Amino acid sequence: MIPSWILDIFAAIMLVVAAVSAARLVAARPWQHRTRPAALADIDVAHLLMAIAMAGTLAPGLRTLPDGAWEVIFGVMTAWFGYRVARDAKVSGVRALAGGHCAPHLLHAGAMLYMFVAVSAPAAHGSGGMGAMGGGVGGMGTLELPFLALLFALALVGYCIWDLDQVSGPGTSGHYSLAVARVAPPSPVLAGVGASARPGAAASGTASAPAAAVPIAEPAGTAQVPPASGPADGTGVLAPWVATGCRIAMGVTMAFMLVIMI
Amino acid sequence: MSEIAAGGVRPAWQSTAGAGADARRAAPDARRLLQLVLAGLWLLDGVLQYQAFMFSKGFSDMLAGTASGNPGVVARPISWDATLVGHHLAALNAVFATVQLLLGIGIAWRPTVRVALAASVAWSLGVWWFGEGLGMVLTGDVNPVSGAPGAVILYALLAVLLWPSDRGSPARPAPFVAARAVGTPVARALWLVLWLSLAYFALLPANRAPQALHDMIAGMTDGEPGWLAALDRGAASLVAHQGLAASIVLAIALVVVAVGVYRPAPAARGTLVLAIVVAAVFWVFGQAFGAIMTGGATDPNSAPLLALLALAYWPARAVAPAPAYTGPARAEEGMAAS
Repeated sequence: MIPSWILDIFAAIMLVVAAVSAARLVAARPWQHRTRPAALADIDVAHLLMAIAMAGTLAPGLRTLPDGAWEVIFGVMTAWFGYRVARDAKVSGVRALAGGHCAPHLLHAGAMLYMFVAVSAPAAHGSGGMGAMGGGVGGMGTLELPFLALLFALALVGYCIWDLDQVSGPGTSGHYSLAVARVAPPSPVLAGVGASARPGAAASGTASAPAAAVPIAEPAGTAQVPPASGPADGTGVLAPWVATGCRIAMGVTMAFMLVIMI
Repeated sequence: MSEIAAGGVRPAWQSTAGAGADARRAAPDARRLLQLVLAGLWLLDGVLQYQAFMFSKGFSDMLAGTASGNPGVVARPISWDATLVGHHLAALNAVFATVQLLLGIGIAWRPTVRVALAASVAWSLGVWWFGEGLGMVLTGDVNPVSGAPGAVILYALLAVLLWPSDRGSPARPAPFVAARAVGTPVARALWLVLWLSLAYFALLPANRAPQALHDMIAGMTDGEPGWLAALDRGAASLVAHQGLAASIVLAIALVVVAVGVYRPAPAARGTLVLAIVVAAVFWVFGQAFGAIMTGGATDPNSAPLLALLALAYWPARAVAPAPAYTGPARAEEGMAAS
């Protein structure tokens, strides 16, 4: 049996991820944006909910909602990110799957949905459901269709490794960057970019959404774009690498959960 | 002036440049991609090591079992290690799992790639002895189909071959990724030794017995999902009483693969494809995907590593290679030079 303190450590990591995600939401204040607030906040909301669900699964004392509620939540989340990936794919083609930043969240949401739907009750514990996992250190639930669990785990590991490489590599890359992804003000030159352009879009990790504003770099020595200010400037807790770090932590934890439930 | 304009390159997590610097960020080259796959395998191994079985007495018994048949000088340390692990099962296994997790993260995190690769070599050699009984190669009872000479020694080999240094020059680039760190003759010799040893193992008396391959494949079905067990049972029935013929065919294929890297590029590609196909057959029928779905696997076994090795020997296209990322300092030099 897996020692409970190991599950507790992973649960604690998830609580940290949840706290960081909540802090990012508060700092970004997406509700103040009139247009597309969901697209500004979806990733942090997803991180927050998934981290809470995983913490509750790993440690029974942290359980919050019944399994049925989590199934609905992750079903909706999977549909939402599926929609966003499909929308990205219309613009970027299959690169939306490989490089788009919604694809890993679709994977995470799908994996969470699978874990809640496919878990079967441990024989020794009649309670069933994912809630039995934490309490089932000695009688853990197992997943049906274990090959699917393996595929999910492999994909999660793959995205974690890719994230680690990108976030530590030379230069910057969109949502991996610590950068202030400043957004051009509405301009006739940028067709299709309108009032929805907000610094928070990039700060929330949504800068590459096709319909969003175009983030631009500050050219060397020419600061034509007014510097972003306030909490939504992509620094501190809103730095994109913070969201990527949360995603890596969740990916590893999710792969861990999938594997130990096979 | 921005740092990028000045030629300096920082990791993304340290960068203060704008998101528009995308274009300046070099895409991972072939060797880096292979390093990332290796990192993923280490990360997967770390996760697998956290499975419930690894915290049970079955794990220490499994370690102790690798002493059987080995010479005393090899077996005694294994028995000592297995006893130690048995006494401190939870703590030591948690350490084992975490080390492997960190190796994966370290290889994927560019600033630590050298440290992590070096550590992975040391770790692999230790595990190969204390955890796999030197792959049981000294016992005479090993089969390449089931994973000989042990997956973990292949991790060490890959770490050496994918080491971020270059012996070639822009005028004479290495003909394949594996040659970049150790040179073409050494890389080819390592490949030759590995695959010829696999061919030798395939022809061992224990594997030439009429039912040897059948029994080995059929033995993999325990605990597997129904579809995979059925697949393996079907494969086992195909080779029933065909042990000698199967061993000879397999050995010939392995020898062809072994010498393939000495052939011109088109023929080399053909033999590397054969190597990948052989690895795939091993993985599905002889290793049941590393028995990961049984809950008792510590790694995905040797086949994915053999395939990864084959990719490391894939002939490069005859174009001048882009400057590869070889660590933080060298990356800055490369950017400055360009």
